[in-house]
Amino acid sequence: MDLVATITANWNYLIVILLMMGGLFIVISQNNMVKKLVGLAIFQTSVFLFYITVGKVAGGTAPILMSYGKAAYSNPLPHVLILTAIVVGVATTALGLALVLRIHAAFGSIEDDEVLAMKADAGMPRSKRSRSSDPDGSDPDGGDPA
Amino acid sequence: MRDNPVLRTAAKILFAPIIVFGLYVQFHGDYSPGGGFQAGVIIAAAFILHGLIFGLEAGRRLVPEWLNLAMLAAGVLIYGGVGVAGMALDGLYLDYNVLLPDPSAGQHVGIILVEFGVGLTVTSVMLALFHAFAGFSEDRFADKPEDTAGGGSQ
Repeated sequence: MDLVATITANWNYLIVILLMMGGLFIVISQNNMVKKLVGLAIFQTSVFLFYITVGKVAGGTAPILMSYGKAAYSNPLPHVLILTAIVVGVATTALGLALVLRIHAAFGSIEDDEVLAMKADAGMPRSKRSRSSDPDGSDPDGGDPA
Repeated sequence: MRDNPVLRTAAKILFAPIIVFGLYVQFHGDYSPGGGFQAGVIIAAAFILHGLIFGLEAGRRLVPEWLNLAMLAAGVLIYGGVGVAGMALDGLYLDYNVLLPDPSAGQHVGIILVEFGVGLTVTSVMLALFHAFAGFSEDRFADKPEDTAGGGSQ
């Protein structure tokens, strides 16, 4: 089949699609917030791989001037773009983990449905902990079962 | 993990070679794939290994928080300083050609200095993230009224 030959010739895109869909599935199917972040990281990795595989020239070297004249080199622009994206990915992962830590400190759980249920029990969705209103710490946030 | 002799010995043996490999990646980034980002993460991995095996307090004694913050800022300062130095020498921002009389030598010096700054900052940020997450204690936020000034100091 022509289609099969096309797919096997572009197996790098197949890997990208599998990684991306796998990551997306983890993000929407898992309840655990840390697992959601893992899925997000896998999704990010698929995008990195896509850009790098597009920029790769077969037989190309690093784009550094050599003493022996001309040589085929891979396109450095996607690679540099992904170098930046990797750094941004580390920062977003750190931010997400920090949010998970704070959610665990406030609710005693990192399961999405449990946290939503606690918020529903408390009455309303709060964007901020109401610590200033009751200073003795008797709000439901601090005393939730760990 | 502090009491396991296998892990302790392995960490002691691995600590220095990891840093040497990080420095190799750092200074070879001039001619081959490598550079500040990768080297910074590798060097930070050595210190994170030390923190995992010998405990967070030992890691904090090895790299105190003030030193970590100073290195973090110094890396950015080196990066920006090289750029501004190019401007001061009648070039553009991050123009390495004007750093030395010979443009080729200037390129070498410029990229090594910039990558050194990147490596310093990446190492410090990775260590700071590790210490911040590993040293996170929930009662700091659950019980005490308001404590945001403490930073990473238990």
